[in-house]
Amino acid sequence: MSMLSFERKYRVRGGTIFGGDLFDFWVGPFYVGFFGITTLFFALTGTMMILWGAAMGPTWNVWQINISPPDIAYGLRFAPMMEGGLWQLITVCAIGAFVSWALREVEIARKLGMGLHVPVAFGMAILAYVSLQVIRPVLMGAWGHAFPYGIYSHLDWVSNTAYQYLHFHYNPWHMIAVTLFFAATLALSMHGGLVLSATNPGKGQVVKSPEHEDTFFRDLIGYSVGTLGIHRLGLFLALSGVWFGIVCIVISGPFWTGAWPEWWSWWLNMPIWRT
Amino acid sequence: MKIIFKTALCLMAAVMLAGCERPPIETVQTGFRGTGMEQIYNPRTLAKQASLNAAPAAAEAADAEGPKAKDVYKNVQVLGDLSVGQFNRHMAAITQWVSPEAGCAYCHNVQNFADDDKYTKVVARRMIQMTQKVNQDYKAHVAETGVTCYTCHRGNNVPTQVWTAPKDRLYANSLLGDLAGQNMATKAAGLTSLPSDPFSPYLMNAQPIRVNSDTAMTGAGAHANRASTKQAEHTYSLMVHMSESLGVNCTYCHNTRNFASWEESRPQRVTAWHGIRMARDLNNEYIIPLTDKFPPNRLGPKGDVAKVNCSTCHQGAYKPLYGAQMAKDYPELQALAKP
Amino acid sequence: MAEYQNLFTSVQPVGPLHDGIELPRGDDKRSGTPFLVHLLGRIGNAQIGPVYLGSLGVASLVFGIAAFNIIGFNMLASVDWNPIQLIRQLFWLALEPPAPAYGLSIPPLAQGGWWLLVGFMLTVSILLWWVRTYRRARQLGLGTHVAWAFAAAIWLYLVCGFFRPVMMGSWSEAVPFGVFPHLDWVSALSLRYGNLFYNPFHALSIVFLYGSVLLFAMHGATILAVGRYGGEREIEQIVDRGTASERAGLFWRWTMGFNASMESIHRWAWWFAVLCPLVGGIGILLTGTVVDNWYLWSVKHHVVPAYPLVSPLVVDPAILGVKP
Repeated sequence: MSMLSFERKYRVRGGTIFGGDLFDFWVGPFYVGFFGITTLFFALTGTMMILWGAAMGPTWNVWQINISPPDIAYGLRFAPMMEGGLWQLITVCAIGAFVSWALREVEIARKLGMGLHVPVAFGMAILAYVSLQVIRPVLMGAWGHAFPYGIYSHLDWVSNTAYQYLHFHYNPWHMIAVTLFFAATLALSMHGGLVLSATNPGKGQVVKSPEHEDTFFRDLIGYSVGTLGIHRLGLFLALSGVWFGIVCIVISGPFWTGAWPEWWSWWLNMPIWRT
Repeated sequence: MKIIFKTALCLMAAVMLAGCERPPIETVQTGFRGTGMEQIYNPRTLAKQASLNAAPAAAEAADAEGPKAKDVYKNVQVLGDLSVGQFNRHMAAITQWVSPEAGCAYCHNVQNFADDDKYTKVVARRMIQMTQKVNQDYKAHVAETGVTCYTCHRGNNVPTQVWTAPKDRLYANSLLGDLAGQNMATKAAGLTSLPSDPFSPYLMNAQPIRVNSDTAMTGAGAHANRASTKQAEHTYSLMVHMSESLGVNCTYCHNTRNFASWEESRPQRVTAWHGIRMARDLNNEYIIPLTDKFPPNRLGPKGDVAKVNCSTCHQGAYKPLYGAQMAKDYPELQALAKP
Repeated sequence: MAEYQNLFTSVQPVGPLHDGIELPRGDDKRSGTPFLVHLLGRIGNAQIGPVYLGSLGVASLVFGIAAFNIIGFNMLASVDWNPIQLIRQLFWLALEPPAPAYGLSIPPLAQGGWWLLVGFMLTVSILLWWVRTYRRARQLGLGTHVAWAFAAAIWLYLVCGFFRPVMMGSWSEAVPFGVFPHLDWVSALSLRYGNLFYNPFHALSIVFLYGSVLLFAMHGATILAVGRYGGEREIEQIVDRGTASERAGLFWRWTMGFNASMESIHRWAWWFAVLCPLVGGIGILLTGTVVDNWYLWSVKHHVVPAYPLVSPLVVDPAILGVKP
């Protein structure tokens, strides 16, 4: 069996949300659970549909495969399969698979006596996907506003959607989100580096302590957030980056139709300093 | 403490959200589905703009019979081949289009209508020829819809959307603070930090707008594309102006994954290409030569005449007056007189 | 929810403040008396200070503050010394690099010379700070992983501001100092070089950027979830695996079939975060020097998807010899 040396004692029953003992088992290293079954169903169905869509398309080149949403003219209705209906079914499967995965993570966490932070964090990512593919299109009145499924084609969507607002960098929530993304990456490099520097101190040195970690950052910048704090900070930076990303795109279209640089006119025209 | 914090947060939210619009909104797909090529409209804003951009009704056509205006009136240099009735109808229209309040006196010495004393009469004469030029030679841009004086003037003595060279800042020659013609929030640049005068290089002079290479790899020597990243900012600034002037976004003309490609662009891009050349032509052949006719209060801070750009005619609409066909009611504006 | 979620510390025990691990001879004494900030303590450590201010640090700060001031005074001058307009227009203002016509020559101060000076001083400041991060680690007997991660970021900074402009033969290719202006530079670079989304190094760099955000969400959440077992005591867990690491590892193993260890997750973290600027810098360096149009490059390499045409075929009017 593919169990780690210490794993056996943790493989106990319990923690399930649904189905009791029926699906409470492992296949190799993978925990199944009721939501493992639903994940498999949605993921396999969705993947089959993607492959079928590729087969119906002009190419098997993985970079060029593209499955597009319906024309905007179809509004929020179900479109014919070859005119975007396939895209719609794939989206349903994607959401089903993602939510199933999150609920499976809940079952696993409960079984291991852990907090539910991981599935909650994953929930933010699912919210981002649902906002882009469901919430925003519904607010704008058509499934056709969502992004297509294709490696390069989805980037074409990003480019054109951004240029709908002439200069998307001026979207203030986008600015905040980008800042948080880069800050999260910076913090990750610092945290990874710090832990590795304490446990891999170099030739002839002994493994160091958390006091060394704290001292390093206090010496460097006068403050060390600490071993618990850095994990809170990292989770916060990552999740709020995603959150502001969601905000920035849901506003673009439903709540702002003009060029993003124009949004700043309220600041420039404040009576205290307008020219 | 908590109350102050909460109030501050609420205030900040209110301020940030104050500028926002609301659904439902309208969208028009301009490319293949899923590419994101769309125009987005706020129907409430659009309704307001439509009401502000309506064409006035034309007077009934006048009788073409009778003596010609140039034989009856003195000093008629343009429109002389019209009948007196047609000529007077045209004058009434011009008054409504350019000087509804000042009336005939805006251009004419009312004691002697033939007099050329007022600069406005001299300028108007040239502008009639300019209008005829647009309708005759720039069908690639204005098609059969054409333009009249109203297209730019809209009842104003001076069109509201004109441009002059921007004035220098107070301490322009100091050792510090040169913004290199950009990096201020100007309407011309659409409130971006892009160059604030995209008009002089592209709508007056004929600097190259294109910056992209047509080869994947960097060329060497004679094959090198010498356009700089900075030059792309200038082009971008012009494009922001064009988009704002027409109330459209970049995907109206382009598939932004490959801006340069004409095959992936929409036909509207060709119309815009002609529009740029038309603006240059009008500025250089008609407007700039009139500079010394204008009094100082009509000139820009650097003493240059007010010139045309895209928003002079379009004023936020994808077609001026949303495509209202005014010119067909004024055949005298459709062609330049034969010499 | 009645259960504690390990997000905010509810009880802060206060003991004697930590003056830091003793430094070896040759180092200066630390500066400042440490003090506590209760609100900070709800998230992480409450202690602020002491800080180590050695010659490297002081020199770095001197150069850095000088650079900051030159930028600031140029911005103030550009609004005719009006402090209210400085605040109003702050996001739009900039200190611009020289115009393309100057190539790599040193321009007059007012026409890009200040930018060049600031670029130099800021670079010196950053490099001095880098040596500081290296040295502080060594003096405490730590590995130099943080310094080398910092080096990846410095690589990207130097590519954008120095290496690429030099290779292109023009300071004007570099990034201006300013909030909106540096964003205009980003757009302009993509516009000039045929859409940077089609630059494979750019795409890979974004993979590492989003991947880093994903990883920190995963790792942060995992550690908080095993906080009740002392999961945040990562060094201890690395040298002597406890139930926190075991549960954390098994969570991921059961979820996705494989897992990291308490040490190796930090290697995943370090590499993902470092590879973002490292790979991104390569992508920028190749732009304009080797590749002039990334879209066309991607067409050459058969990765560009095709869409059915929806408009009638459009032809470049310029090549038609169209006379208006």
